[in-house]
Amino acid sequence: MKVNKNIFVYTLLGCLLATSQLFAQEQYQDYFKVKASPDTTKIRIGEPIRVALTAKVMIYALKGANLKVVFPNLPDSLNHIEIVERTQIDTTGSNEQQKLFKQIVTLTSFDSGRWEMPPMKFEVFSVTDGSYDSVFTEPFFIDVNTVAVDTTKAFKPIKELRSVGWNILDYWPYLLACLALSAAIVLYFVFWHKKRKPAVAAAPVKPAKPPYQLAMEQLELLEKEKTWNSDVKLYYTQLTDILRQYFEQQFHIAALEQTSAELMQNIKPVTVLNQQRDKLQTILTVADLAKFAKLQPSPQEHEDCLRKAIAVVEWTKPSAVATEQPAPNSTNS
Amino acid sequence: MENTSYDIKQLNEKIHQASSFVDILNMEINKVIVGQKYMVERLMIGLLAQGHVLLEGVPGLAKTLSIKSLSSAINARFSRIQFTPDLLPADVVGTMIYNQQKNEFVVRRGPIFANFILADEINRAPAKVQSALLEAMQERQVTIGDTTFKLDEPFLVLATQNPIEQEGTYTLPEAQVDRFMMKVVIGYPTKEEERHIIRQNLQPEGSVKINPVVDPQDILEARKLVRQVYMDEKIEQYIIDIVFATRNPEDYKLGKLKPLISYGGSPRASINLALASKAYAFMKRRGYVIPEDVRSICFDVMRHRIGLTYEAEAENVTSENILSEILNAVEVP
Repeated sequence: MKVNKNIFVYTLLGCLLATSQLFAQEQYQDYFKVKASPDTTKIRIGEPIRVALTAKVMIYALKGANLKVVFPNLPDSLNHIEIVERTQIDTTGSNEQQKLFKQIVTLTSFDSGRWEMPPMKFEVFSVTDGSYDSVFTEPFFIDVNTVAVDTTKAFKPIKELRSVGWNILDYWPYLLACLALSAAIVLYFVFWHKKRKPAVAAAPVKPAKPPYQLAMEQLELLEKEKTWNSDVKLYYTQLTDILRQYFEQQFHIAALEQTSAELMQNIKPVTVLNQQRDKLQTILTVADLAKFAKLQPSPQEHEDCLRKAIAVVEWTKPSAVATEQPAPNSTNS
Repeated sequence: MENTSYDIKQLNEKIHQASSFVDILNMEINKVIVGQKYMVERLMIGLLAQGHVLLEGVPGLAKTLSIKSLSSAINARFSRIQFTPDLLPADVVGTMIYNQQKNEFVVRRGPIFANFILADEINRAPAKVQSALLEAMQERQVTIGDTTFKLDEPFLVLATQNPIEQEGTYTLPEAQVDRFMMKVVIGYPTKEEERHIIRQNLQPEGSVKINPVVDPQDILEARKLVRQVYMDEKIEQYIIDIVFATRNPEDYKLGKLKPLISYGGSPRASINLALASKAYAFMKRRGYVIPEDVRSICFDVMRHRIGLTYEAEAENVTSENILSEILNAVEVP
């Protein structure tokens, strides 16, 4: 009886072990599942079928769970079936226990009949230990039907062109382009106008002070500063610049861009200025020598040139220009 | 300033004395050349500043006679090369010829071995002949076979170009034209001058003989003095402004010139403008340069150094027009 009891216990243990082994095997066999699910299997010629290809991998079965799934490489055309579109592989359904890969493949067929979509091969690689496995999907059939034609009836004439009603939404790109162009034109004119404005405003360039007043103030300042004590060249440069600016503003002679000789030539038509040409000649000659020939005029000459410059400006002040009546004894000093 | 101890007064006196030959030379040349003072003056500037001159003018304006008279008055050797399409570099610089008696090759010097060269109608010869001459002008030496020969000083090349009959000519490239210090455009003489020319050529005594009045050594001494002529930094700045205005006119409120200029003056333009200004001041018997000197020779130094665009040519804008605009816009120091 004891022997029978032992046999029973060993048999029971053996059964339990075998069951758990089988369960484990089954579990490991199911760790990689693939499926091809068409949304329909009956279409008319040219109608699309959306086939969802899914691959599910149980992570616990793979060491490290660092895996790579390769989806079937479908050709563009196979067995009367055309592959129209493939979406990107979607992995949004994955979690800690499993990885889910999904791709939608759109198929169609232009041949009527019953066509088989063959099994599609999925592959899984474990990057961690280099193990490899492959699984095939179940094949499925697609029934492609032609459109039923009633041959008993006569052919119908070709339908006339249908006119489509005017809809503003049909023309929105053109309207948008027109609006953008109009806006660009308006903006261009606004900016152009703005840009031109200062040029128009700059044309008269009237100094805040009358040229005579400005020149006299600058000459007085020069006298006060006595620049000749420190830098003779600078003094004569300032002196001639004041006179040249004054001539430019008062008589519209481009004196700043003219040499001394040219200036003496160009003052000839301006009677009131020409009357002072001897004084001006002296100033310009001494200034040129001081500026370009390192001449050191005497202190007497510095002041003499300044006096002459003041006399020229005084003589040619606007009232004198207006009357143009030269005084005979005031031309030269 | 580079040397503040520079004694301008002393230099001025020295130059006043040394430049006296200019008047004598002018008087002697004027015995045969009627009018064309401008051209003779430019030839003298070229001679004193060691710069070659490109003359542009119709035939019969006494170009050859001028340079011939100048060389006679300086007691220098003169040679004339008529440039033709079949001219070879060896015809200009010389070549090695075989001496049968001595059984060896000997050097036969070309016409370039003279003090004054008249390269007549330089644009009629092909590029390789032009470059052979221009290379000799630049280097002031010629290599024939294995031997290099220094050209005699003073060495002045006067090249002529005919502005008409452009068919079958080889226009000088910009890089080659740049080697000429000045491009002088010669005009017709006045009515009075033309009357003198007729009378002078028809007088029964025949043509007037030019006597040597200056020694080449005097010219070489004068050249040294020309380089000593004082140029103030204000004048240097003025020269730089003019040259830069040809490159970037928009910086000088001359934006309207930008589309008309394809390229502006090179640094060689600045050097030559400064040197020619010094030579001009020397001829005016001054030891320092004034803005008038720069302006007087500016057109001749700069006109061939400004590249015109197609737009400028279409609007008949010349380099002289551009230079006038620049000189009227750049402030004189």
